[in-house]
Amino acid sequence: MKIALISDVHGNLEALETVLRDIEKQGAEKIHFLGDAVGYGCNPNECVKLIANHCDIKLLGNHDYAAMGLEAVDNFNQLAQDSIQWTQEALTKKSISILADFEMDADFNDFHMVHGSPGEPDKWHYILTPQQAAREFEAFSQSTCFVGHSHLPSIFMMEAGGEVVQFVKSPFEREEKCRYIVNIGSVGQPRDGDPRSCYLIMDTDSNKMQFRRVEYDIKKVQEKMQKAKIPDFLIERLSVGL
Amino acid sequence: MPEIIVKYEDKVIERMVADKKRISIGRTNDNDIALENRGVSRKHAQIEFNDNAAVIIDNESLNGTFVNNRKITEEILHDNDIITIGKYNLVYHTETSRQEAPGNLDGTMILKTKKQKEMVEQDKMEKEIIDRMGGSVLLGEENVDFSEYRIEHNVTTIGKAKFVHIHARGFLLSGIQAKIVKEPEQFYLVNLGRKGKTKLNGEEVSRQGLKNGDIIQVGKTVFRFLEGRQ
Repeated sequence: MKIALISDVHGNLEALETVLRDIEKQGAEKIHFLGDAVGYGCNPNECVKLIANHCDIKLLGNHDYAAMGLEAVDNFNQLAQDSIQWTQEALTKKSISILADFEMDADFNDFHMVHGSPGEPDKWHYILTPQQAAREFEAFSQSTCFVGHSHLPSIFMMEAGGEVVQFVKSPFEREEKCRYIVNIGSVGQPRDGDPRSCYLIMDTDSNKMQFRRVEYDIKKVQEKMQKAKIPDFLIERLSVGL
Repeated sequence: MPEIIVKYEDKVIERMVADKKRISIGRTNDNDIALENRGVSRKHAQIEFNDNAAVIIDNESLNGTFVNNRKITEEILHDNDIITIGKYNLVYHTETSRQEAPGNLDGTMILKTKKQKEMVEQDKMEKEIIDRMGGSVLLGEENVDFSEYRIEHNVTTIGKAKFVHIHARGFLLSGIQAKIVKEPEQFYLVNLGRKGKTKLNGEEVSRQGLKNGDIIQVGKTVFRFLEGRQ
């Protein structure tokens, strides 16, 4: 069965709609969401609703958590803090009540999924290096853990000897004797230099997975963000994927 | 004849008909109205009656005597005035209420009823819990995993998800059904999940400030809020 994994939509409705259409074309039967439906973008309510309607497993991200007023935003950078405040004002009670049913981590088949790190899901740690990944492999028992959060698609592979290597490859076939932490990238705000939306599609009957990159109408999103008076940097970064 | 209704945290403890010229109020038993509470001085205040008026006089008490929320030293009482001493409210009526005949007309009605004792005991117990736990506390009442829970986070989550601070039980509850938020002035209870599943003192709540003794209900789970020093 083909399963699509999406993450870090961040209120970018055009990107989400485009990705959902692409997922349908690819013939995926299920979609799981790895967190951060809101924050930065100007359509948080629409994105929460679409994700709730289309996704099977739904996880919370740090922006969702903060937008629900569940933690102080002191650790966020200034832009993220401003954006959380904007999102808190925009988010409806209905959307909050939908997010209230999202989970912190989840399992399916032989896979684990979490927004930040499997060790401490509610601490929102980033996994950016093989050293950081090596510690996190101890926190889950499955062969593979899928994560989001950093917006950087990446594969951390733990070889049979315990050594962890990092690379990006698509399509990619998992080896039985290795374990993996896979960052699936971001739908609504890619930061790896490629402005196209990123998500992952996998086949549970084989070990194949593929990062999909999908072009969406960035200009339209940027115009909406300008009207909503969202800071320029958050608007401009979409064009360059940074 | 004038009448005084004694209430402890808004619960009526006793009615008293004032047929004496002077009624003393204080913590010790030799007062006409004895009020057991730390905030009450031994000889806290007195009410003096003459043909035309009733006057309340504060005996330089430590925590003061209030009439209609205003601190007084001496004050003429009017019908329905509320005298506050410690946690007690004394309502002054110029005439005895019609509906309930007083049981004792000699003006020294015994106030230390079972009910009052129970309430004072409960109050003491709650104070001990707050002191022991060192802050505001939730007391488990029904379907709760704890008997006492110190509210230490700025946001305390309540629901059926694995990751929340307080686990609630019940049908159709959200993962994070509600939160208790610490704000500078007081704590607030906020509903986040499904509508109608979070109640405060039996009423559906969206966002509401918490008062000492409030009953919080999330699904089938019930606990009581005790406010400690902030």
